[in-house]
Amino acid sequence: MTATAPILELHDVTVAYGRRPVLWNVDLAITEPCLFGVIGPNGAGKSTLLKAALGLVPVVGGYVRFFGAPLARVRGRVGYVPQRETVDWDFPVSVMDVVLMGTYGRLGWLRRPGARERELARHCLDRVGLVGLADRQIGRLSGGQQQRVFLARALAQQADVYLLDEPLAGVDVRSQEQIFEVLAAVRDEGKLVVVVHHDLRTAAEWFDRVALIDMRLVATGPTAEVLTPDNLRRTYSGRVELLEELGRAVAERGRTP
Amino acid sequence: MTAATGMPLVAAAGPIGGLSYNTLVVLAGVATVGFAAGVAGTLALLRRRPLVGDAAAHATLLGVGAAFLLTGRRDLPTLLAGALVAAVAALVVLVFLRRIVRTRDDAATAIVIGVSFGAGLALLAGITARGLPGGAGLEQFLLGHTAALTAQDALLLAAASCATVTLVAVAFKELVLVAFDAPFAAAIGRPVGLIDTALVALVAVMVVVGLPAAGAVLVTALVVIPPVAARQWTTRAGRMLLLAGLFGLAAAVAGVLASTLRPGLATGPLVVLAAAAICFVSFAVAPERGWIWRRSRLRGGEASP
Ligand SMILES: Nc1ncnc2c1ncn2[C@@H]1O[C@H](COP(=O)(O)OP(=O)(O)OP(=O)(O)O)[C@@H](O)[C@H]1O
Ligand SMILES: [Mg+2]
Repeated sequence: MTATAPILELHDVTVAYGRRPVLWNVDLAITEPCLFGVIGPNGAGKSTLLKAALGLVPVVGGYVRFFGAPLARVRGRVGYVPQRETVDWDFPVSVMDVVLMGTYGRLGWLRRPGARERELARHCLDRVGLVGLADRQIGRLSGGQQQRVFLARALAQQADVYLLDEPLAGVDVRSQEQIFEVLAAVRDEGKLVVVVHHDLRTAAEWFDRVALIDMRLVATGPTAEVLTPDNLRRTYSGRVELLEELGRAVAERGRTP
Repeated sequence: MTAATGMPLVAAAGPIGGLSYNTLVVLAGVATVGFAAGVAGTLALLRRRPLVGDAAAHATLLGVGAAFLLTGRRDLPTLLAGALVAAVAALVVLVFLRRIVRTRDDAATAIVIGVSFGAGLALLAGITARGLPGGAGLEQFLLGHTAALTAQDALLLAAASCATVTLVAVAFKELVLVAFDAPFAAAIGRPVGLIDTALVALVAVMVVVGLPAAGAVLVTALVVIPPVAARQWTTRAGRMLLLAGLFGLAAAVAGVLASTLRPGLATGPLVVLAAAAICFVSFAVAPERGWIWRRSRLRGGEASP
């Protein structure tokens, strides 16, 4: 790892499912810790982008580096929150069990979580405001609470880079604020937080930098410079109802301190 | 069928409760098998692949027949080795159909079950029709028949079952991780494909080991029903595992004991009936998830909004 290596670098990345490419030639380098938004319409390839970065789908062209190294060498420094729909919430595990899974990367195959890991998990649950629900079965949580359990599990990974896939989907406004505050606090600890996100208004409000994606990289940079009407029109081409939201997004940004 | 079987268990008067030493050993062996089948089945159910065992199970008959034809022997280890080879082959074909030919999951399973089971039945029918020496009695693997087991056979089954339980116990944390959230497991560097393969292999082994007790047609029930019943009682994977094991054990023991009541009675249906009874009770009375509980809660809930 060199001092100048970006925290996360995607170099000319192309990803295909079968023979159909869904992401074309994405070039993206994030050099500073920040709250980074990945924004685009449904099916734009946002989840695919995160999965490609994590090696969960094969990259057919280009490469991904974390801290200048391939993922395999720095896996312990990368945390992940999958989209909530990927798991069966009727699964017989408790909130605590799930958060403890965040420590498995460090523990390895055979060691079981002990007192230290439980202490860490409790601390992470505390950060997302769920410490009272540690023993509850995960199916008996609201959507927003489930998202926060996933967030707590990622925190328990004690990573330097976090990749989160729609951690705010199906979450009410109050929980959204709460989750964003946790993410901002993580950023303030000098970590990179990459968030796939849908809502342009909150995006303008919270993210330091964003990338607009629609099967390719449309634009990336500081939020204010990227979320322009022109860029948004290019990303959401043909989706008229979004232009209204865009107007609101721009107005909102003017009001934030 | 009875002519070819080993020692008649019921007739032999034994030291405990009228059961012979051999019967007791067989009973203990089958109890272990039931426990291990429930344990392996729990992980298969949690990974949402309850039916992989079914394809493997139906193929075992073909393996049993082929092993007999090729070696001319009919001792249990030989026949079960044949069954295991056939079970694994069936699973490989299943993966091939799904991945390469891109057949739907359930269609692929149905194809493998139909073809391998039909071929197995035809092979056994051919062996019986030709009256090959020792060929009679192979059809016991269709529905299970523990009366023919020797103490040595039972020890073999118990050993394989103990190995399965030990493996699951050691890998439990990783197996649950992959079953709950495979993308996350892959993201932290776990070889999800390998762990899945190991799980399927464990289920295949349990299906083969359960063959003498439950038979090719019904052995899946021994893998699937106890975990489903256990899930009713608990919301923790660890307890579910233990409970499913105990339910499987109880069903296996009850079925085998019932089958000793009359000579020539197939064990499989009795084992499965016992498992189904446990499952039915669990559906009815388990707290939180049982229907009696849910109905009474509904009624109680009417008062408050
Ligand atoms: N496993 C898969 N096999 C084949 N195609 C897939 C697979 N997963 C996603 N795709 C396709 O790839 C494209 C991008 O999907 P992706 O899930 O990355 O979109 P997304 O931007 O995350 O969308 P959303 O906002 O709905 O989550 C879509 O066209 C989708 O149909
Ligand atoms: Mg997505």
